[in-house]
Amino acid sequence: MTSYDTHAIGDLIDGTLPWPATKQMMSGYKDDTRFDTYLEVLQQRVPWPEEILLPIGEHLYIVKGAEGRVVKCDCGHEFGDYRENWKLQARIRVRDDQESIEEIYPGRFACDASWMELREFLCPGCLTLLEVEAAPPGFPVVFDFLPDLEALYQDWLGRPVP
Amino acid sequence: MTLTDPTTENPTLHDRLLAGDRIFAETGNYAGIDTLELREDDPIKYESLHVKLRSTVVNARDMARRISASPGVREVGESVVALFTPEGDAIALSTGIMVHVHTASRFIKWMIQNDYEESPGIRHGDIFANNDAFIGTVQAPDVIDVTPIFHEGELIGWVAAVCHELEVGGITPGGDVALAQERYTEGLFVCAEKVGENDELRRDYLIRLERNLRMPIYWVLDEKAKVAACLEVRDQVLDLVDQVGVDYYKQATKEFIEEGRRGQLSRMRQLTVPGRYRGHTFFGHVTEGKNGVLPLGNKNWLYAIPMEMEVSAEGKLSIDFDGTNSWGYHSMNCTPAGMDGGMFVTLTQHMNYDGKVNDGAWLATELNLPSGTWTNPERETVATATSWALLLPAYGVFQRMLSRGFLARGFKEEVFVGQVNSPMIEMGGESQYGGQFGIALFECAAAGSGALGIKDGLDTSYVGWNPESDMGNMEVWEQDMPMVYLGRSISPNSGGFGRYRGGCGFESLWLVNNSSQLIAATSEHSSRVFDNAGMCGGYPAPTVQLHHSTHDAGIPERAAERKPLPHSLGSDPHESDLAKFADGTTHVEEGPYLATPLRHGDLFAHSYNGGGGYGDPLERDPGAVARDVANGYVTADVAAAVTGVVVEGTEVDEEATRARREGIVRGRRENSVPVSEWIQQQSQRIRRKDLAPEVAEMYRDSMSLSRRFAAEFREFWQLPEDFEFEAQPTR
Repeated sequence: MTSYDTHAIGDLIDGTLPWPATKQMMSGYKDDTRFDTYLEVLQQRVPWPEEILLPIGEHLYIVKGAEGRVVKCDCGHEFGDYRENWKLQARIRVRDDQESIEEIYPGRFACDASWMELREFLCPGCLTLLEVEAAPPGFPVVFDFLPDLEALYQDWLGRPVP
Repeated sequence: MTLTDPTTENPTLHDRLLAGDRIFAETGNYAGIDTLELREDDPIKYESLHVKLRSTVVNARDMARRISASPGVREVGESVVALFTPEGDAIALSTGIMVHVHTASRFIKWMIQNDYEESPGIRHGDIFANNDAFIGTVQAPDVIDVTPIFHEGELIGWVAAVCHELEVGGITPGGDVALAQERYTEGLFVCAEKVGENDELRRDYLIRLERNLRMPIYWVLDEKAKVAACLEVRDQVLDLVDQVGVDYYKQATKEFIEEGRRGQLSRMRQLTVPGRYRGHTFFGHVTEGKNGVLPLGNKNWLYAIPMEMEVSAEGKLSIDFDGTNSWGYHSMNCTPAGMDGGMFVTLTQHMNYDGKVNDGAWLATELNLPSGTWTNPERETVATATSWALLLPAYGVFQRMLSRGFLARGFKEEVFVGQVNSPMIEMGGESQYGGQFGIALFECAAAGSGALGIKDGLDTSYVGWNPESDMGNMEVWEQDMPMVYLGRSISPNSGGFGRYRGGCGFESLWLVNNSSQLIAATSEHSSRVFDNAGMCGGYPAPTVQLHHSTHDAGIPERAAERKPLPHSLGSDPHESDLAKFADGTTHVEEGPYLATPLRHGDLFAHSYNGGGGYGDPLERDPGAVARDVANGYVTADVAAAVTGVVVEGTEVDEEATRARREGIVRGRRENSVPVSEWIQQQSQRIRRKDLAPEVAEMYRDSMSLSRRFAAEFREFWQLPEDFEFEAQPTR
């Protein structure tokens, strides 16, 4: 059965796994131990003790907190209950005029600010750019992912949610 | 209708189709198979048959490509060959445009449902063709041929071959007919017709093609290629049936499909996370006042494509398009067959890439296509010629939602920001040889891909609809159109920024050559809005494409005088190289290019999209930015502005980079507010309805089609229950 150690998965996360090994990982049979190895690597890297239940983005995890399952950034900032959209607890920079859009997309590359704005969702703790939404003004903020943790752990992994 | 028990003697195909549906509904398994007996009894024999069937269709496609005269099929590989059960369920597919896992199924089932067994009859040697998307394909240029396979008088299956045609005889030249606004302007339709008998194409069918197409040679020779592929597969399948026995063949092929269904469910459980995923994309179509636009289509359109994906505890995948907009008088509508196609060409790349790609996976998925929307117009007179315009952005969202699951489970090597549209240029008029011509220039089959979760996206070499993406050689295209290339170049800054950059798109610049009338038409590019996105902090690719043309550019004269010539749009985003290095006046056109015909001596430029980025651009490796600058993939000024990496020459200025990145972080703090505060501000704006007319119309339409969308919109912006947008007055 295919299996990778924490070094290989750590390199994969960092984007430093050599391409031949990455290609082999892409083309070969998937390893059933991946999730646990992945969690182990991520848990070692974060500076806080709460148990990671599920990563949901770069830098963002659902963790087992003192007051329930919350979304947490690896800087330590908490966004609240994972069943609510973490973006609503973030900071936002909105590029909704041509000047600010053209900082990223100059001249002919720009979208029309009256038809589309760029919303940059930032962690209030470390100001990492966590997600960018490109949407017409007025489009409600998207709740990207609401995992069914019970089904994942109980039905798919065969163990209770920690 | 009384069902005939399919186990009794001589059930009709129609009976068998209905019985199959009933058995699946009752048992949840394909053909009621609860145990893969043949697989368990002798796995080597079972797998051997599958591999041989797969090889047969792959080889037949390769052979067909060499018969075809169309550069779309020969160079770009726009074809696929597949094998089906008698009821029309896909057993095995070749590589190629695997969109057609289920579109050809729909075509075969449609013939069965419409009693083709009785009339026009289904006999050995018959050839049926279809390019009607409401029967079963994606768009008119995807012409499917099928032939039945009879064994000792019994129909035991079908072979299908598909080629994407470069010219279909529509209101504008080419295959993806940009200006089609109703079915009646899309070109030549072949509606599940018997086009051949006794293994030969009928002469009257070929005459119809010759008299209704601008460039019949492509379609006619593609027909011959497809028929050759079908007959080759048919004969090889019959040889295999002789080897394994017909009963074994029939049972094994059913087990392949059931195994495909189980494989799809287990792959979802293995790679993703159960739950609810959401995403969106948008598409702008600016056609108001354009040449040739009919009264009902004379407006600008903004499409919202919100999508929800549910992964059940069983592993079943459901996609819901609730909240998207109405069909319209344009060519971008889609049919349920096309929506199947878009989903399958995506699934075959992410889920079903290593095993039994067949209709089993279709049985493990579900699409909700709301009636009256572009996804399901339920009006068979609408045009679907450029349905990829909305399909591709939509299934790019699908790829990002799937990738969220891959990311959560730790399979970062599978995380992919997704496909983008790749705009088409089609043309017709007077050829360089003096006759009439028409062609879709299929170099669009090589956009930039979205970034991956571990590396940059692919530059100029990926489109979602053809996993073997290839732009074709310039010299080949020059043989078929009255234009010569002045350049084909990577477009700098065309990939979305991020820790990993989206793949770059490219642009071509042509000089019109020896033609007094070249009618160009472009499609599948969004105006005013980006039709893709980034992921996890990456930015979307800049996919708002404009068209640049110069009349009487004076290129030969400039060359003789040794003056600089344009070879691309250039790296200056404010003024193109056409404006700088050509005579005459350069025109910049927004939206589909439906302008005055070009002629000898004119220039025309067309750009293809890059893909979205992944991760925070401030986390991008400075060395990677320096390489991008050195290679012309990004310009130093934009790299510094977005990634904070300052490149001098080919070297990173580390000190300046540190200062620049700190400045960007400061800017983030100073220019941002808590989301709750922004929502309060924006809520006032929404109450005032202070939005562009097209944006307000998009919301009015979505809210009128979807109660859920309307309720969520009002709840999010804390609006009264009776809040709504008014319909815009029609002119």
